[in-house]
Amino acid sequence: MGVDTARVEKFRRMPIDGQSLKRLVDAGLTWLRTNQQIVNSLNVFPVPDGDTGTNMVLTLQSAWNEIKDSGTHNVGEMAAAVSKGALMGARGNSGVILSQLWRGFSRGIHDKAELDAETLVKAFAEARDTAYKGVVRPVEGTILTVAKEVALATEAALGSTKDAIGILEVAVKAADDAVKKTPDLLPVLKQAGVVDSGGKGLFFILEGMIRHVYGESLESPTMTVQSMSAMNLQNALEEVEEGQDYEVVVDFVPQGELDLGSFYGRLEDMGTSIQVGEGDGMYRMHIHVPTEKRYEPIDYIMGIGTVTKVAIENLLAQMDDIQRSKSSQISFTTVEPGQIAVVTVSPGPGLSRIFASLGVAAVVSGGQTMNPSTQDILGSFENLPTDKIIILPNNKNIILAANQAREVTVKQVAVVPSRNVPQGLAAMLALTPEGELDAVVEKMNKAAESVKSGEITVATRSVEIDGVKVKEGQVIALLDGKLVAAARDVEHGVLDLLKKVKTEEHEIITLFYGEDLPHAEANRIADRVREQYSSLEVEVQEGGQPHYQFIISIE
Amino acid sequence: MGEETTSLGGIHISPNAVATITYHATLQSYGVVGLAPKNLADGIVSTITRVPSHGVSVHYNGSDIDISIHVIIEYGTRINSVAESVANTVRFHVEKALGLRVNSVNVHVAGLRISDPD
Repeated sequence: MGVDTARVEKFRRMPIDGQSLKRLVDAGLTWLRTNQQIVNSLNVFPVPDGDTGTNMVLTLQSAWNEIKDSGTHNVGEMAAAVSKGALMGARGNSGVILSQLWRGFSRGIHDKAELDAETLVKAFAEARDTAYKGVVRPVEGTILTVAKEVALATEAALGSTKDAIGILEVAVKAADDAVKKTPDLLPVLKQAGVVDSGGKGLFFILEGMIRHVYGESLESPTMTVQSMSAMNLQNALEEVEEGQDYEVVVDFVPQGELDLGSFYGRLEDMGTSIQVGEGDGMYRMHIHVPTEKRYEPIDYIMGIGTVTKVAIENLLAQMDDIQRSKSSQISFTTVEPGQIAVVTVSPGPGLSRIFASLGVAAVVSGGQTMNPSTQDILGSFENLPTDKIIILPNNKNIILAANQAREVTVKQVAVVPSRNVPQGLAAMLALTPEGELDAVVEKMNKAAESVKSGEITVATRSVEIDGVKVKEGQVIALLDGKLVAAARDVEHGVLDLLKKVKTEEHEIITLFYGEDLPHAEANRIADRVREQYSSLEVEVQEGGQPHYQFIISIE
Repeated sequence: MGEETTSLGGIHISPNAVATITYHATLQSYGVVGLAPKNLADGIVSTITRVPSHGVSVHYNGSDIDISIHVIIEYGTRINSVAESVANTVRFHVEKALGLRVNSVNVHVAGLRISDPD
């Protein structure tokens, strides 16, 4: 992967016009995206949320969308378009700063048709000045510092460097040096053993541009050794590719100097998501490999050093855990003014997600007791940008609170009195957000009535109701709120419940399993139901509700 | 607010302390050029305030903290993203420093400062 000298010479002779700038931006974006995880893993400041790389990519992506169809050869116009796109898509702290850098850059060259060394230097200086104006107390050791060092170094180089490509080379070098110095300026970076993430992101953008000039690949991530404490193996999991089923982590002490180039080269033949960390002469290698190659990295590393620790994990199993931990991130339907928005009370995270996928605009978490206050319900819809609201209480004890919420708001609110989750779900299927409120409510009411709902739970006391004797601790089944069966376990509870339903009148049974019931157990019971009711479609969904092992919808 | 009783005695954190942490975290946020007084009476002195409690209000209901901040933002930045970063940064710093849960951070954009019209 050497530098293509003829190509570089061509670039040096060619002035940078609008189209060349466009290709440079594309290269910067591609290279940043390739190294996105590295940038994310460095993110400890201002808030350690590991999203700097993603935010910068999204911001620059928005800039690229703005220019990708532009045919202008005028570099000033092109830069203005980049600046506009970056501003519109600015995400997060680093994204806002990146958009300000582009704004300044564009201002520095707004009246130029082409970039030469002098205008490029001026653009870097303007980028720095504009970026610094956006904050009262600039924190040094961040992307701002990197932008400043780039401006300083290119200004100093102007005497001896005559072409814009030469200036870009100086900029990349200066950015690299500045990034390495960030831990000295910002103590929190030093404590975490990382360099600044935003600064590193800016470096990748500039480096991507120069790699484009050199004709180097922009697709395979840069070979780096990070500090071991900064290795972010959790993030790597999100990039698991088809067939890469095993994660292998090897700690080792190399014999002599580790030749990174050949080390990476060998590993790239084996798998993906390669990360290498170092601390006190000890190295840690992380890689995702296909099942049949899971021992290869270990064998290879044993040949070049002393292996101290090996960990092999099945990624598919880990992915399940990650999916579960992501349960809090639910994206709700956005409502437009004038549309009908539905808010619903949900007893569990899984059900909240299902409601969200059906188009609710907000969920009130019922909590352990399924007893949200009027205020909770009110708060869920007060900030929605529409005046037409439908509330689905999904529990007969909440209908009252929902009605009270209707009394105290100025919005036009209707309550569809769903007494349980299956009714609420059925009602959601009848929603037309653009319709007339009264007509929609009527349709949703009808839909809610059409569904049968079952609940499986454990009796909290011994009692006899409707001729069914129940002992404390026994599994009980309720059909539309009425006790219909007591059983020795959950499986029999479900089967006894279904016996009470005229199943020939229905088509689909959906089992929402609660937080106390393992996924595998829910599937096993569903299989038993399928065996007995072969004409029905049986689905299993994670409900996540407390207390109820199953909430069952029979449609 | 923030009462806590230890074997040695009580710890009491005043809303002013929260306001001060909020003030500094906000001013470090990119895109914010100042805090604005939250009401007119405070505002007669100057438009950009240097007293933390003037630009920040803190409510404590016994378990959660609600914070409102009135900020002036640099013209030309994406206001949405800046406000979101402010909210994140403030929440992080207050929770880290006090160990109390922050329920909500409301960012009111009271004005813009235009250093470079374009």
